Amino acid sequence: MLQSAASLLGRPFAGIPADRRKGIGLIVLAAVMLLFPVFHNNDADIDSMANAMSYAMLALGLNIVVGFAGLLDLGYAAFFAIGAYFYGVFTSFQVMPLWHSYWAPLAAIGLVQKMNQGGPDLVHFTLSFWLALPLSALVAAFFGVLFGAPTLRLRGDYLAIVTLGFGEIVPIVARNVDSVTNGAAGLNGIQAPMIYGHSFGVSATPYYYVGIAMIALLIFISVRLRDSRIGRAWMAIREDEIAASAMGINLVRLKLLAFAIGAAFAGMTGVFFVAKLQTATPEMFGFPVSTMILVMVVFGGMGSVWGVVVGAFILQLLQSWFLQDLTQWVNAFGALIGVHWVQKVDLVQSIELIFGIILVVMMLFRRDGIIPAARKAPDLDFRAQHAEVKRGGFVGLDRIPRWEKRSGNALEVRGVEVRFGGLIALNKVDITVPAGGVVAVIGPNGSGKSTLFNVITGLVPASAGSIKFEGAELIGLAPHDILRKGVARTFQNIRLFPNLTVLENVLVGQHARLRSGPFSSVLRLPRTRVEEKRARDWVLDVIAMFGNRLTPRAAQTVTGLSYANRRRVEIARALASRPHILLLDEPTAGMNPAETLELAEQIKSLHELGLTILLIEHKLDVVTTLADTVIVLDHGDKIAEGKPEEVRRNEEVLTAYLGRAAKEAVMAEAQQAGAENVA
Amino acid sequence: MTVFDVYLQQVINGLNLGAMYALLALGFTLVYGILELINFSHFNVFMVGSFVALYTLEAFGLSGQTVILAGLPLVGVLLVTFAVTMTVTGTIGVGIERFLLRRLRAVKGPAAMITTIGVSYILFNIVLLTVGADTHNFANPLPTVTWAIGGASLRLRDVLIWIVSAVLMIALTYFVQYTKIGKAMRATAQDPEAARMMGVEVDRVIMTAFFLGSALAGAGGLIFGLYYNFTSFLIGFTAGLRAFTAAVLGGIGNVPGAMLGGLLIGLVETIGSQIIGASWADVIIFAILVLVLVFRPAGLLGRIAPNKS
Repeated sequence: MLQSAASLLGRPFAGIPADRRKGIGLIVLAAVMLLFPVFHNNDADIDSMANAMSYAMLALGLNIVVGFAGLLDLGYAAFFAIGAYFYGVFTSFQVMPLWHSYWAPLAAIGLVQKMNQGGPDLVHFTLSFWLALPLSALVAAFFGVLFGAPTLRLRGDYLAIVTLGFGEIVPIVARNVDSVTNGAAGLNGIQAPMIYGHSFGVSATPYYYVGIAMIALLIFISVRLRDSRIGRAWMAIREDEIAASAMGINLVRLKLLAFAIGAAFAGMTGVFFVAKLQTATPEMFGFPVSTMILVMVVFGGMGSVWGVVVGAFILQLLQSWFLQDLTQWVNAFGALIGVHWVQKVDLVQSIELIFGIILVVMMLFRRDGIIPAARKAPDLDFRAQHAEVKRGGFVGLDRIPRWEKRSGNALEVRGVEVRFGGLIALNKVDITVPAGGVVAVIGPNGSGKSTLFNVITGLVPASAGSIKFEGAELIGLAPHDILRKGVARTFQNIRLFPNLTVLENVLVGQHARLRSGPFSSVLRLPRTRVEEKRARDWVLDVIAMFGNRLTPRAAQTVTGLSYANRRRVEIARALASRPHILLLDEPTAGMNPAETLELAEQIKSLHELGLTILLIEHKLDVVTTLADTVIVLDHGDKIAEGKPEEVRRNEEVLTAYLGRAAKEAVMAEAQQAGAENVA
Repeated sequence: MTVFDVYLQQVINGLNLGAMYALLALGFTLVYGILELINFSHFNVFMVGSFVALYTLEAFGLSGQTVILAGLPLVGVLLVTFAVTMTVTGTIGVGIERFLLRRLRAVKGPAAMITTIGVSYILFNIVLLTVGADTHNFANPLPTVTWAIGGASLRLRDVLIWIVSAVLMIALTYFVQYTKIGKAMRATAQDPEAARMMGVEVDRVIMTAFFLGSALAGAGGLIFGLYYNFTSFLIGFTAGLRAFTAAVLGGIGNVPGAMLGGLLIGLVETIGSQIIGASWADVIIFAILVLVLVFRPAGLLGRIAPNKS
């Protein structure tokens, strides 16, 4: 919002530098928000604002799950309910166990009270609002993990429906467990927050200020997470799960983290919401609420922190302010023209209809929302657009440290078998890649080359055999663990993260080498800052190896890149993890001869730096220039192995490539030529 | 009634609901099979169908429980009502596809699904704002003929619901298996690109799928009214979600699977309610949904969905 507002107002403030403008904008916004109740002392309007803040907080939480990590959650209100009932149950008179002396310590610190309503002594829970906020975040996060865990393996739309199911189960449970939740009637008499012995009472103003503080905190957390290693990993998962896991991202951990943090936001909001309302009923947390939050996120812009806040405010205030006024105007107009039904129209009733229309219109015409998350990169100048073909390998190699020298075999594939149903994609294949060597795998289409890469990197399971990398077994490891061990790869049909920039794409390659977790990312500890700076410098060095192909485009999203440049980004991303072995799946496919030669020389210079390389390649001249050893696969069998020139003359290889008839023709010709010579 | 009779009665009731869920589930499955799209608008196309049926019956002068027909007039009224309802909801379905979803077909990600949620909301609120939030009594022109089976009773209504559903499902199976466009539909479900290359008009196939699915939802709406004797703007969500569960249970994308899943979910609902109480029935159904998706995503009869990524 600030950026687009700044660009809108750009001219009057042109004298102020862009980064200062952002800071000033924030201060002005904060001042307006803080002073609003002072200048506009109308309790109903302040209350509407506080409600809008609740929804903005929910939208921020859902944005982490849907916008950042791309996990479509249609039952998000369940976590809102969990936080709300948590606070409600522990501050109302609904659950009152019998008093026992072991409650005394809790009573001493004010969390419970001893009560007598004419029977035996009872316990009345009086959980502090301020303590309930972090506790509810923890409780909701726990449920986030609990509900998230079974959905991890599901594809996007199935995930949506399972979360919808959970979202329905929670209110049903609330409706049916009368003893705890008071059923459909809902909890009443929920305690208002206290501060220094004063209750918040019925005025909306104190809630308004608590709301501002909470929303500021949640925006802060969202922005810090977005711009961290964690945020990058979420977005990588959103864009391409398989590539993300092959680049060292632990899918299970990061998805659960997104569910947990998103749920924590909703749990805290639940406490705030019911403390303000002082009642909680199951209807407050059903599917319509989940959908409303989703509408806010979609309207504001999925993944856009400021967008979803603005979206939530606009939609909520539309409902509570604008539609009421508009209804009065329309009714007055109806009285003027004397049409009965126009006098009776209640537009506030139609808010859900408007929500539905907003969803459809946004999806059809503006899928990025009112404030899109993606930043527009500056246009390239003429020089940057016209890269020249460079000869002689990578540039700037002096900035890249040499790989440490290893001896023996880097990779040993022994008797590996992969089956897809009845099809044997790899049949007891043995491959050895010596440390520091370059091995090429060739073979006709469907011979199992890519399957070999997939089984080495853990993307498909092996039914038999062993794959040892630097002595450690890889079979059974998850793809991200395999990358961590130093095996990085590219894909035959390029798998980049389309909506991330070149720089972000390559930074994802560093994920496994960085350590900052969610807490240090939010706090931006000195250690995290140093780590992030170092990662960026290294990634820029890697990008710079391709000359001016990628460096001028570092801030552009990869969708706009040429095919060859996307291949280069993918190689840079794999290199960014500083692997011990690089697996290249047809790196020169789709490149013209000049570009092919350029890349071949670059691969050679990587090899000279000491990197071990295993590549799949169709262009035999590339294979001959680069590889020490060539392995030929056909129908899942290894049919030949040897030096490039030996393999070229191998009969079986000829059959595999040219077919039996062609081979026989070649052989017959040779024989005939021999016979003629004898004659 | 003995315990056995109680359960027999619940099986009869469950088969009624199951027939309705099966009709609805077919709509989810036809669309999902081709587009891999969960069509949330289907929920409320069904609901709209029940109102179309209500007003069609009222146009015949039938409202409330007072008018009872028999013989040819009854058959005629029912045939016309089914035809009108199915045509109207089928057209709504085609409209949703033609004017909204088709534009999003090439868009990756959840955009199309979110659109169907939006459409569902729009239908829901249009009905709420025009006919109001009250439950509407549904005309029931069927004579009250009842046969006793032990302690349980089987009504003419039940038999009629079964016959109509069976006829519709057999017709659909025949259509999908043996007609030219049905074959085109199956080919498109396997691989839209290859089907297009072979001369299949994919747009027309998808529109047909939406028409058939939505028409069956309309039939389901009429059956809902005949079974429960009421309708309301609220009925779409719960019934829709149960039917979706049925489609998933049978194997989404699989036509016989949707029918089997529908019957099973209907039985689970009535028998489950009998055992642990009606207010918990949905928890069982959603638990089934979650368990099937997690442990057997292909469902009871489904093939494993090809991974298109």
